[in-house]
Amino acid sequence: MSELFVVGISWRTAPVAVREKLAFREEELASVLQEMRATLPVAEALLVSTCNRVEVYGVAKAGIDATGPVRKFLAESRGLQPTAVADVLYDHTGSQAIRHVFSVASALDSLVLGEAQILGQLKEAYGVAGAAGTSGPTLSRALERAFGVAKRVRTETAIARGAANVSTVSVDLAARVFGSLAGKSVLVVGAGKMSTLAARHLRTQGATHIVVTNRSPEKAERLAEEIDGIAKPWADLEKHLAEADVVISSTGAREPILTKDVFKRVTKARRWRPIVVIDIAVPRDADPKVADFDGVYLFDIDDLEKVVAANLAERAKAAEHASKIVEHEATQFEQWMRSQGVVPTIRALRDKFAAIADAEVQKTLDAMARKEHTPAQQREAIQRLVQLVVNKLLHQPTAALREIGSVDEATLRAEVLCELFGLEPTETARASDPTLESVPESSPERQPET
Amino acid sequence: MNSLSDVVLIAGGQRVLSVAPSPAFWIAVVAYTAASAALLFVLGGHERARRWALGLVVLAFVAHGADIGLRGVAHVHPAQSVREALGFMAFIITGGYLVASARYRLTLGGAVVLPVALVLLVVARLSPAGEQTDMIALGRIHISLATVGVGIFALAAALSAIYLVEERALKKKRFDTLAFKDKGAPLDALDRWSNRLIWVGFPIFTVALVLGAIWVSKLGEDLTRIEYPLAAVTWFAYATLIIARAAYGWRGRRAARLTLIGFAAALAVLAIYLVRRMVA
Repeated sequence: MSELFVVGISWRTAPVAVREKLAFREEELASVLQEMRATLPVAEALLVSTCNRVEVYGVAKAGIDATGPVRKFLAESRGLQPTAVADVLYDHTGSQAIRHVFSVASALDSLVLGEAQILGQLKEAYGVAGAAGTSGPTLSRALERAFGVAKRVRTETAIARGAANVSTVSVDLAARVFGSLAGKSVLVVGAGKMSTLAARHLRTQGATHIVVTNRSPEKAERLAEEIDGIAKPWADLEKHLAEADVVISSTGAREPILTKDVFKRVTKARRWRPIVVIDIAVPRDADPKVADFDGVYLFDIDDLEKVVAANLAERAKAAEHASKIVEHEATQFEQWMRSQGVVPTIRALRDKFAAIADAEVQKTLDAMARKEHTPAQQREAIQRLVQLVVNKLLHQPTAALREIGSVDEATLRAEVLCELFGLEPTETARASDPTLESVPESSPERQPET
Repeated sequence: MNSLSDVVLIAGGQRVLSVAPSPAFWIAVVAYTAASAALLFVLGGHERARRWALGLVVLAFVAHGADIGLRGVAHVHPAQSVREALGFMAFIITGGYLVASARYRLTLGGAVVLPVALVLLVVARLSPAGEQTDMIALGRIHISLATVGVGIFALAAALSAIYLVEERALKKKRFDTLAFKDKGAPLDALDRWSNRLIWVGFPIFTVALVLGAIWVSKLGEDLTRIEYPLAAVTWFAYATLIIARAAYGWRGRRAARLTLIGFAAALAVLAIYLVRRMVA
């Protein structure tokens, strides 16, 4: 069976300035794959191009190392000299390639450990290769298994647990108070870029009512339109605070705008309903003492960063267990691939044995049909049939074993036979059993008249 | 000595105070212990143990129920004494935990609640049975309702305890604590369910309290015994909580603390009854 190979570049080997030169647009993937298969010694191919990696997963044509030509192709197809990217491109073949594919799918090779996007990107790339007709049986099996491994890693380890960036941490913290954000109202104070990102993320998580307020009404209007929210006057800030479940604040104010006095009135108006305040402004918009009120959960940018760091540390810890899963799965997959290589031989062996047995059984049945047999004769006929079949099955391997000239090869073959049949040959057996001297194919002679 | 050697027969052998722990009890004890250990494993990052832990909780719950059933067959009613009531309360707590686990990840909560259920069960089965006086129907109804009421309060108290631990971790920004990392049920849900449980348990407990007062007055006992004012503390705590929630919007930390105070008083009543019975 043909070997899998990987050629590529990733965040581990090159900065974005280099990676972007080798990147492929989604719409050109299919034609690139087809060109690769038409011009290179590649039987199957898949190309994944993301912001963090550009990789070709492929299967070389029998007996050829395709990694060199693929490296050259990647560079030249992007208008680069192969030597210019030789140091940043890597390649793996065989078992290393399998481990690499499994690790990538499980997000163990990702810049943000355990991130979910890479699995989706791989699935898309697999779909493109399928549509382009460049994925074959080996690649399909490897990729399907890789998706299974990724699922196992995500289920059995904490690799994907905990948010890994500031805007998802904001959602995560709000979810710890409210559970689902469906139907919750969000107040965006200020129109900074970070609050836009966080608000957008809250919207995707189900927050339905987003109010934007800013000192400049024009900016509030613009942001509200961008995130499908409603712009409200800055003067009504306290009223909006009393109604909101989640507040995201990122104004450019030099002094806190969410003060203790403001929250004293707001919490009373809210009847201590919980409120999550995400203050991502620097200098901070919220007075830290605001957190002393019952039901007020205040987090500043440092808190969010701390959560990200803690989550990433947990993921790194989980990566050790995940790597063991990948190693185990890769070993099993390799064994399975190897077993696929001997399937035709096993099938031929079974067919041949079945043919011999069928022929001899038929002959015996014919002989028995010609004349009525007593039970003793029937037993004798069956014993003879079994012995005949065994002799026929053993004739060829025994003869082949005896005909080998070299002692080393004969010993080797004998050892293989011992292993295959679980034999433990002894010298006494050799001396005492005369049948071992020769196994005639048709001995004992069939006696038609029984 | 046969297996029912510690059976106390009353009134011509019809009712008994207690029977020896059944095999189901020992299975429940092992399952509770293993489930608690498995949940600690999950908290330690071994996510695969979660399925095992839940399976063991189910096993503990079934075995616990079977033990109660077997005692019932042997004429030991789950609400005929404080001792039996404790065992039944542990059963209710485990059942509530299982129901809640179907919706929320309650790893830390389970690691706290299951050992509590285990201790209650062991105390209920292995403490001395004491002496039994004949009990009229009123007394039986009182104990039955009080057991169910306090069992429901126990669930509310467990949710409140989890709330306080989770809330503290969030408020104090202790991002490296188990309470934060476990990512259990959201605070809002814990508060809401605790409130609902008190709404269910309070009327049951109120009826139990009234019937108990009538029973005591029929027996001609002194109402100044310490357990009676303590039971009243429980009732007042939950009555206050219901009113404060509805009228003044009380919720969260304050409500959780009051829930725990009310349950602590109920637990003290049970403890006094239990000790008094053991001493007797």
